[in-house]
Amino acid sequence: MSGTPFTGTTALLRHALRLDRWKLLPWLLVFGAFPMMSYAAYASVFSTPLEARALQLSLGSNPAFSLLFGQPGDLGTAAGFTTWRVQMFGMFFAALMAVFAVTRHTRAAEESGRAELLDSGVVGRHARLASAVVLAWLASAAVTALVELALMAAGSPTGPAFALGSAFGGMGLAFAGVAAVTAQLGSSGRTANTLAATVLGTSYLLRGLGDTLDNAEWLLWTNPMGWAEQIRPASENDFRPLLLLLAVALALTALAAWLESRRDFGMGMIAPRGGPARGRLGTWGLTVRLNGGAFWTWGIVFIALGSVYGLVATTMSTVFRDNPFVRQMITFRLATEEQLLFAFVEVLLLVLAFIGGVFGIQVVLRFHAEEDEGRAEWLLSAPLSRLAYAAPTVVLAAVGPALGMAAGAAALATSARMAGSELDTAQVVAQGLAEVPALWLAAAVALFLVGLAPRARAVAWLLLVYWLLLTMFGPVLEAPEWLMGTSPFHVVPNVTDSAPDWTPVLWTLAIATGLVVAGLAGYRRRDLSGR
Amino acid sequence: MAAVISIAGLEKCFGRSVALDGLDLEVSEGEVHGFLGPNGAGKSTTLRILLGLLRADAGTVRVLDGDPWRDVVTLHRRIAYVPGDVNLWPGLSGGEAIDLLGRLRGGLDEQRRAELLGIFELDPTIRGHAYSKGNRQKVAIVAALSSNAEVLILDEPTSGLDPLMEATFRREIRREKARGRSVLLSSHILAEVESLADRISIIRKGKVVETGSLEQMRSHARTNVAATLDGGAARTTAAPALTALPGVRDLLLEGSRVHFSVDDGGLAAAMNTLAAFGVSALTVTPPSLEDLFLQHYGERGSQA
Repeated sequence: MSGTPFTGTTALLRHALRLDRWKLLPWLLVFGAFPMMSYAAYASVFSTPLEARALQLSLGSNPAFSLLFGQPGDLGTAAGFTTWRVQMFGMFFAALMAVFAVTRHTRAAEESGRAELLDSGVVGRHARLASAVVLAWLASAAVTALVELALMAAGSPTGPAFALGSAFGGMGLAFAGVAAVTAQLGSSGRTANTLAATVLGTSYLLRGLGDTLDNAEWLLWTNPMGWAEQIRPASENDFRPLLLLLAVALALTALAAWLESRRDFGMGMIAPRGGPARGRLGTWGLTVRLNGGAFWTWGIVFIALGSVYGLVATTMSTVFRDNPFVRQMITFRLATEEQLLFAFVEVLLLVLAFIGGVFGIQVVLRFHAEEDEGRAEWLLSAPLSRLAYAAPTVVLAAVGPALGMAAGAAALATSARMAGSELDTAQVVAQGLAEVPALWLAAAVALFLVGLAPRARAVAWLLLVYWLLLTMFGPVLEAPEWLMGTSPFHVVPNVTDSAPDWTPVLWTLAIATGLVVAGLAGYRRRDLSGR
Repeated sequence: MAAVISIAGLEKCFGRSVALDGLDLEVSEGEVHGFLGPNGAGKSTTLRILLGLLRADAGTVRVLDGDPWRDVVTLHRRIAYVPGDVNLWPGLSGGEAIDLLGRLRGGLDEQRRAELLGIFELDPTIRGHAYSKGNRQKVAIVAALSSNAEVLILDEPTSGLDPLMEATFRREIRREKARGRSVLLSSHILAEVESLADRISIIRKGKVVETGSLEQMRSHARTNVAATLDGGAARTTAAPALTALPGVRDLLLEGSRVHFSVDDGGLAAAMNTLAAFGVSALTVTPPSLEDLFLQHYGERGSQA
């Protein structure tokens, strides 16, 4: 056979682009829109630069925010404010976009058999991998360009706009490389995605610790997310880390190509193990098995994040002592140090609660994937009613995240106490559990959609992101109370209050129950979609 | 014989596209009923309605004297199904999948399960994502045949099986029939249906256009005739005489050989006419299932 290992790359790339136009477009629009909206909001949020500086001071000393959003650079400008608000999330999601795109066109395509048809044509050994990586790189470049154009349209100078876009795009480049490697390692699309997402999650955590802990800046140099952060848009606009990201992208892609030439079509480096010849699973066992991976992964995330948060909370005591405003509050008995600490812990628990929301939605969508991939149809051909089939999912989506919240909150309190802070474990766990109805609502929305309008199921994700943004940034942006009230995460009372108001939580529970009932009724009555 | 499945006037739309348009179908107890049609004719939709996975828009559907939409659980104890495109759980072994289905049915025939694994040469310890298409199909076949269900609903069960396994499958279906089970076999593999089915229904655009045993279908279908005529009479006189007969069509002359098809009423007259001109060789072929099938789908050929 003539031709190079890359013969057919452009044809495959064109095909992939055609398949992906509608998949990539929403990502690109979000990447463009968020920085632009944030930039435009700046003027309405801060009437004077002084206010912005004050926010910067208080945020700069707040480790929880550093952990999540990175160190605020220069909030005195709209570009700096935008960077602080969107950089971490943008980088995270740009990386995720690249990972999904590469896996979709390599491992997942091989798995589904789509690839075999095309690859039996005149296609070189590395053409498929090359086309997938190039696709992800093109998408990353498009993100960079879109962010830059959107910010400039909103009035930003070129330098910061390009720097922020590059931080996003650079993450896309690097993680396309990561996914190219994980696609060779795992023998299924899901394994490949999980491996790459683990690298991304670890990067996020290492970077967060580097930003938060004392004398830990070196941690920022250990991972791609730390490098991309070091571009420091709007303050330093240093493009040298971008070269590092590019180098890693190329090196990982070359490694992936080398791995690919050493494996057979359809096989992974991690050899699939055989299974038992007999099984004892029923629908409950099956649901636990299907969600087992997610359950343990999220369980570890809850406990790890809780423990880290515990350490972070402890450093707050130093912050209180150093901050003149806080000292004043304590002196005038407007608040005790314990109260301030607990209010801070509440914010940390909120982050855990959103992760719980992700977990719950995931369990419900897993249930829908079973239908989508034709397995539900086969199971339901046995004597099994639809409600009996759905029941384990409903229970797991309710119990799993609640257990996670309890474990995360307990881990937080334990690690904080071990580090010497005065937190009451029972109160922290109670506060954590108080968030549970909110994350149930997220899962209930997903179930409602799966039951009644499965095509619109992605709306559950959008709603969770909306709640996250509103709850986190609403108070800073002085959003009106009626708007804040649309977030079930915002209305959770502080359990240490003398008379906490549980009414909104009861409403959350009632709405969630209603959605579950309606969703199940819909699922029982609708046509099952087949393959 | 009693009907285990009876469908009358069944209609089903998906949005604006009509999948079933007044379909009638009857499967008698103990028979293998072939359900024949190309992809997209409505076979899978019909089977999904029989399994209560889809709800009928109009018409009556009875399975074992129950309503497949309402009496799902009670009916499914007596029905086993093999989907046309089996997708297994990536992390579950084939054996686990078979036992999961078995457990939902309240147990399966252990001896039969072991026997079937051997007959189909299926390794039950392989995980779902590592099976080939044919082996995934075998997992569903073993699960269905090792159940004690009275009715088997099979949706293109042999897609992906190699010819040897296809033969094994046919042998097993005959055994199931011998034990008194009723089978609804949807397929587009004509040879499979021809060798297994007692009765056949041909579906086209959501309607059953012909139903009956192969013999019944043949009896009112066109017969192919090829004859070699004596002397030079063929061209000048025999051809016009044959064409003039009622029921003779597609007449073709090749020197002294003449080919034509004739419907069942016209066969005797055509034979008499041929005999009058003197025949030196004659073949009369009853229509194959393929001929029958193509007659119903002829329109597609002429449009193409």
